[in-house]
Amino acid sequence: MTSPSDPVEGLNGNGLAGRYYGRGIPYLPIEDYPGKLIAIEGTDGVGRTIQIQLLREWLEVKGYGVVETGWTRSPLMQPTIEIAKSSNTLNKLTFVLLYATDFADRLEKEIIPALKAGFVVLSDRYIFTALARAGVRGVDRQWLRNVYGFAIAPHLVFYLNVDVKTLIGRVLESRGMDFWESGMDLKHGDDIYDSFRAYQLKLLREYQSMADEFHFRVVDARRSIDRIQDELRRQVASFLEPAEKPAETALTR
Amino acid sequence: MTFSLLHATDFADRLLYKIVPPLKAGMIVLADRYAYTAFARDATRGVDRQWVRELYSFAVRPDLALYFRVPIDVSVDRLMARRVKLKFYEAGMDLGWSTNPLESFRMFQGKVLDEYDQLVQEFGLEVVDAKGSITEQQRYVRTLIAQKVKMSQLEMIDDEPV
Repeated sequence: MTSPSDPVEGLNGNGLAGRYYGRGIPYLPIEDYPGKLIAIEGTDGVGRTIQIQLLREWLEVKGYGVVETGWTRSPLMQPTIEIAKSSNTLNKLTFVLLYATDFADRLEKEIIPALKAGFVVLSDRYIFTALARAGVRGVDRQWLRNVYGFAIAPHLVFYLNVDVKTLIGRVLESRGMDFWESGMDLKHGDDIYDSFRAYQLKLLREYQSMADEFHFRVVDARRSIDRIQDELRRQVASFLEPAEKPAETALTR
Repeated sequence: MTFSLLHATDFADRLLYKIVPPLKAGMIVLADRYAYTAFARDATRGVDRQWVRELYSFAVRPDLALYFRVPIDVSVDRLMARRVKLKFYEAGMDLGWSTNPLESFRMFQGKVLDEYDQLVQEFGLEVVDAKGSITEQQRYVRTLIAQKVKMSQLEMIDDEPV
């Protein structure tokens, strides 16, 4: 159905931090917004949420305003997504589009206003999760990258990297394996363990394939929570504060 | 954006459950509105035109697309004659162009019509003059469809031995 005109500038690794990747949202210009967008990516059960919680506390103590946003957490879409997941009517296309709608809602109503007001936005997962999940499910990659052309390139993307063996151990110790996180919709078989392993392996490969292109800062997530947090803080601090030190010395002179 | 994506999601669901299966079975599918509605409406709301087209690239290109064209005045007169209450989004009230629903409707739908006019060329929509009587319109539509669908060539439903 595409008309034979210019190709769309979709998502790619050339996006400038804090700007739209592609054509963006024409009615919402975002140039020169003071806020910073930091995305924490990583597969299910890798420990993103706890890291964000700790990062938030630390940033707030340092005096930053922090806003958190997370996948499928938009008030508009969360109930719909839950209903759709619990019924058997979702196919890969509607699945992808529901996620995109949720993301668009959070972008317009949470992320952009917060960036405008100078907040640090911590995003628990970002569009790379959508790309990875859709990639595993065989959705057309170029199409999806065009759809997500309205996304903003984050200032930092941390990717919590883990091997599938460590991941399985962690997930089983905490909450157990879940239908969707095991990719049971892909019908690899009835065994949830085998399905989880196969699905997560594919997901990890998808994330890995995006790491260079989208400048992921890869963090070894097999380590303890504190060690990971230390590394995140070091990197966030050197991104947010390099300009502040010279300014202080200038004042004391 | 969310408006656009929600409609695309709904469309994808209907495409896969209601449109593609009957097409595979060799049936004729009549769609009341199609992706062109989204192209016109979303562009009017300020969404990037090319982005919406790309978003809907999973849609099946129709064998025939009819566009019933009326001037905005006729459209408003017809709606008012039935004393319908203008719907919030149909009147583009979300855009905040006017607090008066009728005025907002005129402004919004007027722009939507401009967008449709561009689509006629781009996608080769067949324009039906919808100012005329229902009978005239229907006769014209039937000739258009007859050109596309050779009734004699339609497969019988039970063409396979039982």
